[in-house]
Amino acid sequence: MSTSKGAGIDRRYLYILLFILASIPILYPLNLPVTIGEHSRLVFELTDALPAGSIVVSSFDFGPATITENRPQAKAHLFHCKELGLRVVAVAFWAAGGPLGHSVLTDVYGEGYELSEEYGTEIVFLGYIPGAEVGMQTFGDDPWQAKGTDHFGTAIADLPLMQEVRSAADVDLWGEWTSGTPGEQQVIQFVQGRHQGENPGWPETGYMPLVVGSTAVSVPGMMPFYQAEQILGILNGLAGGGEYELQLVDAYDYALVAALPLLDSQSVGHVLIIVFIAIGNIGWAISKSGGGRGA
Amino acid sequence: MIPPTIGQLPPELDLYAAIFGVFATIFIYSFLWKENPLSRAVEHLFVGLAAVFTLAYMYDAALSQAVWGTERLAEGYYIWLIPLILSLMYFFFFTKKYFFLYRYPVSIVAGIMAGMMICGMIQSNFMVQIQSTAALPLIGEVDGVGVWEGWPPQGLDSIIIIIGVITALSFFFFTWEHTGVLGVSTKIGRYVLMATFGAAYGGTVMARMSLFIGRLTFLYQASYEDWFWAWYLIPVAVILVIIVGLWGRTSSAPTRSTYSTKPTEREET
Repeated sequence: MSTSKGAGIDRRYLYILLFILASIPILYPLNLPVTIGEHSRLVFELTDALPAGSIVVSSFDFGPATITENRPQAKAHLFHCKELGLRVVAVAFWAAGGPLGHSVLTDVYGEGYELSEEYGTEIVFLGYIPGAEVGMQTFGDDPWQAKGTDHFGTAIADLPLMQEVRSAADVDLWGEWTSGTPGEQQVIQFVQGRHQGENPGWPETGYMPLVVGSTAVSVPGMMPFYQAEQILGILNGLAGGGEYELQLVDAYDYALVAALPLLDSQSVGHVLIIVFIAIGNIGWAISKSGGGRGA
Repeated sequence: MIPPTIGQLPPELDLYAAIFGVFATIFIYSFLWKENPLSRAVEHLFVGLAAVFTLAYMYDAALSQAVWGTERLAEGYYIWLIPLILSLMYFFFFTKKYFFLYRYPVSIVAGIMAGMMICGMIQSNFMVQIQSTAALPLIGEVDGVGVWEGWPPQGLDSIIIIIGVITALSFFFFTWEHTGVLGVSTKIGRYVLMATFGAAYGGTVMARMSLFIGRLTFLYQASYEDWFWAWYLIPVAVILVIIVGLWGRTSSAPTRSTYSTKPTEREET
C-alpha cells in the first residue's frame, strides 16, 4: 500500500474524503457567494458593447473530456450573442467539436435550428474544418476555401450570412472555446496576426478581438497574450463559465445555467486541497526539525 | 457523409447510455484504488472510440471538401486530387517495399507546418510579447488615470513584470557562473519560475476538480423517466470493481503492470 511520505496518509483516504466533500454541495447546495472576476467581466462587457448585426465567430475546439468546463462557457456566450442580435458563424477545428457544437447550438437556438428561418442569416454552423492549424489559417484567409459546405451539407454560397464573411477582416469578435491545440494560440498566430489592422472597427492594437473560454489548466499560459491585448477576455474553466452565467442571470434572466450550481462543490474541493497541502507541509517541517530527512 | 446528428443518442437509448455511463465512470476512477482489468478496459475503449471517431470525421471532412458536397472534382478542379493522393500515400507506411513513398506526405506536412510556425510564432509569441513588455507604463497617465493611482497601481504591476522577466531570463543564462549580481538575479528568477509553476499547478488542480465534479453531477443527476436514477448503480459498480480487484490479487501469478513504477527483479539487480 503506497503512502504519502510527507504525512504518512494513504492517498486513497484523501480520494474518499474528496469524493464525499465534493458530493455534498451537489446534493445540498451551499449557495456560497460568487464574485465576478475581471477576466469574465471583460468578456461580458466586450460582447455586450457590440452593435446588433455584428459578426461573431464561435469556435468549438474541445472534446468530450472537458465539456464540464467548455460547454457552459460556449453556451452562455452564444446565448448572450443571440440576445444581442449578433450574427454567429460557428465552426470547429476539433473533430469532436462538430457534434458537440451542434449540441450546444441546439440548446441555445432550439431543436431543429438548422431548419429555422434565422439559420443562414443569423446563425451558421460550418461544422468541423480539418487541417488543424492549416484549416484555421485557411478559414481566416478565406472561409469559402476552408469549407465548401456547412455542417448539414448546404453549400456555403447558399447561406446569406456567409456572403458577408470573406475573411477574418469581416469578423467583429472571435469566441474561442478550447482545451488544447488548435486553440487560442493558433488563432493568435494564424488568424489574428495575419490580419492585423484589416478592420477599422477593431481596437487600437489592430488585433481582431479575441475572447477565450478555456480549461483552467491552460489559463496561466495565456496571461502574456492577455497582457499584450491579443486576448481581451478569458473565461477561466468552470469558475469563469459560472461567473459569465451569473452576469447573464442578472442581465437577461439566463435559464440555461450549468456551471454556476457546481461552483460550491469546486470551492469545497479547493479548500480541502489547501488543507491537504498545509498538512503535508506541516508534516514535512516537523519531520525535518526532528532530524529526519523530510519528504 | 456522416449524419450531422451523430453523437446524439435517440431518446429511447437514454436508459442504456445512463447505465453504461455509470459503469464507465466508476470503472475508470477505480484506477485511483488500483489498476484493474475494468479500469484498463474502459481506458482502452475510450482511446479506441476517440481514435475511430476522429479518423471517420477527418475522412468525411476531407472527402466532402473535394468529392461530395462541393463536388469540386466533378466541376473540373483537379488540383484537389493532389491532397487526396498525398493522403493515400500515408498508407505506404504499412509496406516495406514502398515505405519511401510514405516519407513524401510526411515531409510536405512537416515543411508546411515549419514554415507556418516560424512566421506565426516569431510574430505573435516573440515580437509582440517583447513590444508589450517594453511598453509597460512606469510614469505618467494611462487612459487619464495616473500610473501610480489606485490599487494595485499599474506602475507596481509593471515593475513586478519587468523584474520577473529579466530575472527569469537570467536563470537560463549559462555563460558566466551564477555568482554575485547574476547569482542574486538567478535566485529571484528561480522564485519567479516557482511562482509560475505554482500558478500552473493551481490551474491544473482547478481543471481536474472541475472534470471530477462534472462526473459526480452525472452520477447524481442522470436519470431516465421517473423510475431510474444513475446513482442506483453506483454500489453495483463499486462491488464489481472490488471483486475484480481482489480476484486479480489472489488468482494468477503477479504480472508487471503497464503503469507500475515498481522495478522488476531484473531492473533491481
